Amino acid sequence: MSDPLLEVRGLRTWFETPKGTVKAVDGVDLTLERGEILGLVGESGSGKSITGFSLLGLVDPPGRVVEGDIRFLGEDLRSASPRRLRDLRGNRIAMIFQDPMMTLNPVLRIGTQMIETVRAHAKVSKAEARAMARDALGQVGIPHPDERIDAYPHEFSGGMRQRVAIAIALLHKPDLIIADEPTTALDVTIQSQILSEVQSLTREMGMGLIWISHDLGVVGQLANKVAVMYAGRIVERGTVDEVLDAPRHPYTRGLIDSLPMENDRGQPLRQIPGNAPPPLGRPEGCPFRPRCARATDTCLSEPLETEAQGRGWRCFNPLEEEAMA
Amino acid sequence: MTATAPMIEVAGVTKHFRRKTDLAERLAMRVGLAEEPPTVHALDDVSLQIAEGEVVGLVGESGCGKSTLGRVVAGMLPVTSGQVARDGKDIATLKGAEARAMRLATQIIFQDPMSSLNPRKKVIDIIGEAPRLHGLVKRGEVRAEVERLMGLVGLDPAMANRYPHQFSGGQRQRIGIARALAVNPDFLICDESIAALDVSIQAQVINLLVRLREELSLTLLFISHDLSVVRYISDRVVIMYLGRVVETAPTDRIFDAARHPYTQALLEEIPRIDRRGHRFSSVKGEIPSPVNPPRGCHFHPRCPLAMDKCRVERPALIQASPGHSVACHLDGGTGRPLSEAGVMTGDTPSKD
Repeated sequence: MSDPLLEVRGLRTWFETPKGTVKAVDGVDLTLERGEILGLVGESGSGKSITGFSLLGLVDPPGRVVEGDIRFLGEDLRSASPRRLRDLRGNRIAMIFQDPMMTLNPVLRIGTQMIETVRAHAKVSKAEARAMARDALGQVGIPHPDERIDAYPHEFSGGMRQRVAIAIALLHKPDLIIADEPTTALDVTIQSQILSEVQSLTREMGMGLIWISHDLGVVGQLANKVAVMYAGRIVERGTVDEVLDAPRHPYTRGLIDSLPMENDRGQPLRQIPGNAPPPLGRPEGCPFRPRCARATDTCLSEPLETEAQGRGWRCFNPLEEEAMA
Repeated sequence: MTATAPMIEVAGVTKHFRRKTDLAERLAMRVGLAEEPPTVHALDDVSLQIAEGEVVGLVGESGCGKSTLGRVVAGMLPVTSGQVARDGKDIATLKGAEARAMRLATQIIFQDPMSSLNPRKKVIDIIGEAPRLHGLVKRGEVRAEVERLMGLVGLDPAMANRYPHQFSGGQRQRIGIARALAVNPDFLICDESIAALDVSIQAQVINLLVRLREELSLTLLFISHDLSVVRYISDRVVIMYLGRVVETAPTDRIFDAARHPYTQALLEEIPRIDRRGHRFSSVKGEIPSPVNPPRGCHFHPRCPLAMDKCRVERPALIQASPGHSVACHLDGGTGRPLSEAGVMTGDTPSKD
């Protein structure tokens, strides 16, 4: 059997601050195959974005990947040279950010930026690069790509700008795309259009996609697999059906239950009490313990992951397996 | 309290925004060297009633004018034409004590508490300033009043001397709510007040708003882009598109029997965890610019059921059934329920 597209084991990314060590990512395991979409779900501060940045070697000091193994098609990325990483980034592995203006230079025509990206990784003429750029724009559903390629970023709407950012990510037909909340700032009808494009592109091109999001609804519709993060750790993972239909971790259950669509009008929304712990004041043992109705004294020690065939959870008192509806 | 007059009546309100020109520009325009700055048609002949005690959800995508409408209703923005009446009185004509009373009775809670709370003020001053200035509490009683309000919104009164940055996002939103409640309003406008919060915190704040509404018998205008939240909290829903109201109905009617193709599309796009492997996207195209909105029905360029009439004539907001109004040319001007329209594919209606 060949190597998986991406395999992450025990990833820890810590930030040294004057007040102490912020363990933003504290022991994350992930596996992704070609053609799969993994939804990485969590609330703010759960470490989901830092996990994405860590995979690409994009964590800046004082942050540092202190431990763990990141393998891309079998290749160890943690010990890869900066040169090798630069080779891979934007070429074999691409990233899409929440704000497309992080990707786009406001004073350059998008064609200029795209041609630059093409020629950074491939020895092609400017005309060929331009043709590739135009094709990529067409692929993500931008009308009249031949004309729009000469426009500046501000001449596009928010949704179209995000499409341009996705087109740039697709230029080299990467094996893996890491998308960090790319549709969160968009309107529902526009978000839906982009999700549709992304879903079919992943299928057609056999890419792997990690979709980082706080929105369980989007992930449920888009992804094959889900990993739920809380306080720097993956607390539950499995296929979308397993995790969303029969969650075992009380946090996942709480997240699903607090969605307004899952509640009856006139009844109070089922809510998770309390707040996520601050990164420097995480409780001992299970970090969800203070908010958890099922917590016992056992939870004062660190829960390990119960895992079988990619289905796993970190909890001493998991919920019973529910009958699948 | 009369049963007939609604608490808030928005009648044919139009609001245009235009960039201010300077002297040089005006001179250039006079001699024909420059064009007039473009006009943003934020609200286009919008009418709306809110009854006392009602929770109205105002839904739409960016640029549809929902926030502008909220500010117009609150009296923060003057209208270009039309009028907004509060308890039967046009708010633009109110003067002196009456105007002040109206402004206090209507409070607004914004999306981002960090940009609506002064970072250099302590919570006790943020919440206590307005009631003290308006003479609602005596100087010596401000602390007790602030502590009561903090308790009411679920904040620890012991934190009254802290600054906004020392609170989490959900707690900051509670400060914003306490500040709004400090002047005893009977009408609250929530403008995307929970959009920036995490799911688990969002549920807490929604529950708080529902509880406060009952305890203080508040009337609420709940502005949001998120239909799932609006479904949960509202008695009635108003859907806006590009400056116009396209549909309004009691919440159950909107979710079970929406008649406008845009409302139906919005419902279809709500991300839901029970829609596994859902095929996305039924609405094509972009939201047009409010600077240059399309002629006729604003939704026609994206509507799968658009007819020739939709391209030229604006559909009026017509009552399709009691309490349910639609602005759509289909079926004689009352839109069409989804069951008859097929699944937004433009199929011919099947008549049994």
